Amino acid sequence: MIRLVDVHKAFGAKQVLRGFSLDVRDGETSAIVGPSGVGKSVLLKHVAGLLRPDSGSVFVDSQSVPDLDIGELNRLRRRVGYVFQFAALFDSMTVARNVGMGLRRIPGWDGKRIAGRVEECLALVDLEGMGARYPSQLSGGQRKRAGLARAIAPSPKFLLYDEPTTGLDPVTTAVIDRLILRMSDELGVTALVVTHDMTSAYRVADRITLLHDGRARFTGTPSEIRAAGDRVLRGFVEGDPDLFFASGSDDEMTHEGGGYQNGA
Amino acid sequence: MFELLLRPFAAVGNLTLAGLGTMGRAWTLFSGAAASVRNTDIWTPHLVPQMARIGVASVPIALFIATFTGIVMSLQASYTLTGAIPLYFVGTLVGKTMILELGPVLTGLILAGRVGANISAELGTMRVTEQVDALETLAYDPLAYLVVPRVLAGVLMFPIVVLLAISIGILAGWFTALQLLEMSSSEFVKGLRLYFAPWDVWFAAIKSVSFGAVVTGSGCFYGLHTEGGAEGVGASTTRAVVVACMIIVCLDAFWAAVLL
Amino acid sequence: MERKREVMVGFVVVLGLAVAVVGSMWLRDGFNRGQTRLQTAATSVGALVPGALVKFRGVTVGRVESIAVLPSGEAVMVDMRIRPELVIPANAGVLLAPESMFGEWQAEILDRTEFGLPPFLDYPQEGVLPGAALPDFSRLTATFDQIARNLTTISDRVEVAFTEETALNLKGVIDNMSVVSDLLSEIIEQQSQRFETLADGVDESAQELGDAARAARLSFERFDSLLTGAGVEQMFADAGESLSNLRNITGDVGSTMTDLREAAQRVDATFERMETVLTALEDPEGSLGRLLGDPAFAEGALGALNEFRGLLADIQRNPGRYLRFSVFE
Repeated sequence: MIRLVDVHKAFGAKQVLRGFSLDVRDGETSAIVGPSGVGKSVLLKHVAGLLRPDSGSVFVDSQSVPDLDIGELNRLRRRVGYVFQFAALFDSMTVARNVGMGLRRIPGWDGKRIAGRVEECLALVDLEGMGARYPSQLSGGQRKRAGLARAIAPSPKFLLYDEPTTGLDPVTTAVIDRLILRMSDELGVTALVVTHDMTSAYRVADRITLLHDGRARFTGTPSEIRAAGDRVLRGFVEGDPDLFFASGSDDEMTHEGGGYQNGA
Repeated sequence: MFELLLRPFAAVGNLTLAGLGTMGRAWTLFSGAAASVRNTDIWTPHLVPQMARIGVASVPIALFIATFTGIVMSLQASYTLTGAIPLYFVGTLVGKTMILELGPVLTGLILAGRVGANISAELGTMRVTEQVDALETLAYDPLAYLVVPRVLAGVLMFPIVVLLAISIGILAGWFTALQLLEMSSSEFVKGLRLYFAPWDVWFAAIKSVSFGAVVTGSGCFYGLHTEGGAEGVGASTTRAVVVACMIIVCLDAFWAAVLL
Repeated sequence: MERKREVMVGFVVVLGLAVAVVGSMWLRDGFNRGQTRLQTAATSVGALVPGALVKFRGVTVGRVESIAVLPSGEAVMVDMRIRPELVIPANAGVLLAPESMFGEWQAEILDRTEFGLPPFLDYPQEGVLPGAALPDFSRLTATFDQIARNLTTISDRVEVAFTEETALNLKGVIDNMSVVSDLLSEIIEQQSQRFETLADGVDESAQELGDAARAARLSFERFDSLLTGAGVEQMFADAGESLSNLRNITGDVGSTMTDLREAAQRVDATFERMETVLTALEDPEGSLGRLLGDPAFAEGALGALNEFRGLLADIQRNPGRYLRFSVFE
């Protein structure tokens, strides 16, 4: 499980997270939605231990991430796969080498075992035979899949997706979404997907959380989201800026759906 | 009115804070990198490739610069040493300046452009495309993976490149003296040997080690602290080169004061 | 690929180190590195530095390895490396002297009997050659200056009083002067031998300085004989001549080297004053009688003379302290 409790984070004068809380149950795929630049990626980086919260706690697998020393953190990271927005493949290496990067850090894995696992992972994301290519020779969708293959190679328990479908055509988006579902079904991972693509979120998520103003504004299943009447949520889901940006007196609200209350 | 009076103080304060901030970040980075040296399994595979990239690949440009420096030194020395001073001092001047000053410093400055910019652009791109974060999520210490092999390669290879540059520069000066100045080989060599001390070579080597650390360190620092996209990479590359050059010149004076 | 890169890096590293090591060795020793260790001790080494050439009969045979003051402080030990096949002459000494006008010094192995001065230091240790450093021109200038000052002091006192005792003292001075001028002329001759390869001007200057010193000595001898001689009148007549002689000499010295001019002028002024004194003495109505009974003067003069003598002795012992000359200093 992944649990964030009252996380605050500021960069200089810019307050990005102001008391964000979230629970992702084991085996669940949770999506965090919100417009670009509200700190969704920042949230993910807290979970992966790339950033430390100014205050609040981050738990992954019952371990408090900010309190781990580097050795413990690295051990935890083997159980946490991170799929970057633009794949973040290492340009200087072939796809196969990229995918094998995480495996090379695991004690006891020799070249042969790594190569086998790499092939397996590439097959899982439908990139068989592409291992010898360099990232620059791949299309955007292929890169995302290669990034996914790299994230799943060490057989993580948790997968963090940072905008997995951004910049892709609808068909490729659907392919990626299907892959995310496949990871959950076949590998049983607990996934946290950050996206601003509602179609994608509806498709992959068991629960969806709207990140607004540094807090979890609304949490619920896709059907609950569809039914919810929250002004900001409706504004975001329907792509209505008037609704989304309008300042109203209904900022403090409690929502159904077993989610979190604002400012909890 | 009062505001106008306060403005200069605010400016000084800002500058001071910014400078202290940079120093703090540099300290964090390099002390972290020093601590990361113990992760030998991460950086050792990258040391030789980085030595090839930073050192071997820099040899041609360093030798090119040194050749022409040697020629110019020789010609200018002969132009200056007229009348009372014997011509064999051309050898002394070429040798001493190449070994003590021009070899290490010119090579350092050229490599600040070549190596520093290269490292900064590479790490900057890796930073803005989240490859540095990716390394971390794959349980690689980015300092051990990126900074340690580069700085070590710089520290190890700079003196080598500089020593080669010095020898080529002296040979070029010698050749020029023979061909254009109607000096004899023995005259030039007499001058060359006149004030030669083996310590000079150590001095050059020590200087180049520090320059290697500065150039690669500056590249890593500004590369890893890149913000924004392509523009950020450009800005940090420029800064890496400028700062490396400035530190090289200051260090040059420092070493001259401390070691000579 | 990986292999090729490793080989390249290794090649460049080895090449760079080899160039540095071989280049340094070559620049330092020219590969005919001296194998035999040779030591010399001297009271001073002038401007000799490690790496300076060691010469024997004009041929470079090695280099100075290290220079260190002995813990006792009594001498400087110079370590040299020379060619192994070289046979050192029986009565060898090492003369440390400028190689050229440009400040480089060398250590020359030579037959000691050919050089009486400067005094070689015989260091009581097996295998350590006696060594000596040549004085330098600038020290010579300083010495001239010093002598002139002392002469001024003396003649000032002469002006005040002149007794027979004073005359005897004066004779003592002049004896000393003749010794000094001997010394100076010898030093200068040595220097000019050293510098025979140098620019003519410098050589000539050295020669002229030598001539001047020799002539000065002659004058002093005359002065000497006249003081011991019988007739006071004759004495004064001769004295006048001697002094004008001296003035000519100092004039020569003054025009020889600008460095020396100031010192020479001072000597000149001194002699002029002495002349005045002597002229005054020519007058029978003069102060000679008045001065006869003034013991204070004799004491003062003696003091000055002792001072002077001490200085001369010191010059003799440590010429290097007073004589140094270099374009770069």
